[in-house]
Amino acid sequence: MGRLIAAEFRKLSTTRLWLWLLLASAALTALFASLAIAFDDAPDNATPPLWTPEGQHTLFSVGSGTRPLLAVLAAIALTGEFRHRTASATFLATPQRGRVVLAKLVTYALVGVGYALVCVAVTIAIAMPWLSAKGIDVQLTGDGIPATFAGVVAVLAIFGLVGVGLGALVRDQVATVVGLLIYLFVVEQVLISIPALGSWTMYLPGAAANALTQVAQADQQYLQPWQGAIVLVGYGLAFAAAGTLLSMRRDVM
Amino acid sequence: MAVTPDAGRVVVSGLTKSFGNVKAVDDLSFSVDPGTITGFLGPNGAGKTTTLRMLLGLVAPDAGSATIGGRSYAALPAPSDEVGAVLEASGFHPARSGRDHLRVYCDVNGYRSARADEVLSLVGLTAAGRRPVRGYSLGMRQRLALAGALLGDPMVLVLDEPANGLDPEGIAWMRRLLRRLSGQGRTVLVSSHVLSEVQQLVDRVVIINRGRLVRQGALAELSDGHATTVAVRTPQPDELAVALSRSDGVQVERSGADGVRVTGMDAAAVGRLAFVERVELHELAAERSDLERIFFALTNSAGEVVS
Repeated sequence: MGRLIAAEFRKLSTTRLWLWLLLASAALTALFASLAIAFDDAPDNATPPLWTPEGQHTLFSVGSGTRPLLAVLAAIALTGEFRHRTASATFLATPQRGRVVLAKLVTYALVGVGYALVCVAVTIAIAMPWLSAKGIDVQLTGDGIPATFAGVVAVLAIFGLVGVGLGALVRDQVATVVGLLIYLFVVEQVLISIPALGSWTMYLPGAAANALTQVAQADQQYLQPWQGAIVLVGYGLAFAAAGTLLSMRRDVM
Repeated sequence: MAVTPDAGRVVVSGLTKSFGNVKAVDDLSFSVDPGTITGFLGPNGAGKTTTLRMLLGLVAPDAGSATIGGRSYAALPAPSDEVGAVLEASGFHPARSGRDHLRVYCDVNGYRSARADEVLSLVGLTAAGRRPVRGYSLGMRQRLALAGALLGDPMVLVLDEPANGLDPEGIAWMRRLLRRLSGQGRTVLVSSHVLSEVQQLVDRVVIINRGRLVRQGALAELSDGHATTVAVRTPQPDELAVALSRSDGVQVERSGADGVRVTGMDAAAVGRLAFVERVELHELAAERSDLERIFFALTNSAGEVVS
């Protein structure tokens, strides 16, 4: 398995996509953090103010907002094997296709950790001087902030699993990426707004991710962070298992 | 590689595969002896690619089995060490360099990275190795695919239409390389839809059409039972024609002022007869297109649906 993971990292590092998406993730994180601080005093701001622990948790979790990018990177890693027809060579070298899926799950969970650390660093670099200038004193080691950072790392790592799993299930690259983005940005928002679904919307992937980092938003119930983590990992592994049993076994022509 | 009686032997047995209503491969059985070069021939759509992909575990057969050295591909403990494959329409990431592509498979198989450079040099791609594959010609991609097949120094090579996209010089190069590899005792199974492409290369042929076996055996046996044609040029065509027509089962046909086409007698016999009859010969040749015509006849008569 170590060799397969090393091979996945080489596949990742020998094209440029990871770099562009990492830069995009860092830029998005910087934007989210700046907006959160700049609009802290705005009168109609729904998020808690930054002098409260809740407000600080929201600010320091903005990196988790880049999770669609990580999921896209992971989905492309799997579906790219079919799009670029490297699946033949990959399965010739490793006829046990489930092991290929497993190697990608591990690889993209690790890549998610790496992205998360960059996003956390960007958040800290922007927030600390700015908050200090506004006279807000933040202890990075206290008030649940380390747990918030851990939540960001967990969300991005788990979205790596989700991306690989979904890619394994769908196989088609465009369908996977477009479907993923439409779900995250449109479908889930619609589902959350349906009153009849009630507390069931807590179990949706986006809500579970928010639970993990405890992003405070008005009128929305969340699971406990650890429950959110279990739900999200469940999505990723369920997709991956279904993909391995169903679509990965299909003929490679 | 363990030395067993089956080492390097490819056995296809009762292999069957349908796509929808179309039977791509129909109860196909053949075997490839270790250390030989076997041509796997048939027109486009005959089921060659499907058969090879079933042999390599990429396509699941509906029935039958295919083994390499007595085991199915998926059951080989280190498949890349034992079998190298060049598949039609297998691909590369356009942004990745050829060298990095190979190094990915070095990682997977635990080969040292320098092995990628060795096989690149073997296929003559050292200079292009660091460039992205998107800039490669079709012939360069075929060479890169062959380099990938050779990474593990396998005893069995399976090549699906390797000459596709190669220019005549490339085809000659590929022939020399495959002959050298088989000279080292490797088993080579090479598919083609053009017999002449592999005619000077292969020892044996397996011919299929519409998913069924038409013929398997030594290349030399292919013409057994088929009349061969010999083209002769002579300043005395009439005398030769008369002499030839005295033999049984020989058809003689004049072509041009000094040409005679002889069917039903091999070139040696025609030459001997001309010598005995004191007929001067300027040219004496078995028609090169002969095997191709037999191949054509074999793949057209068998299983042809009369409409």
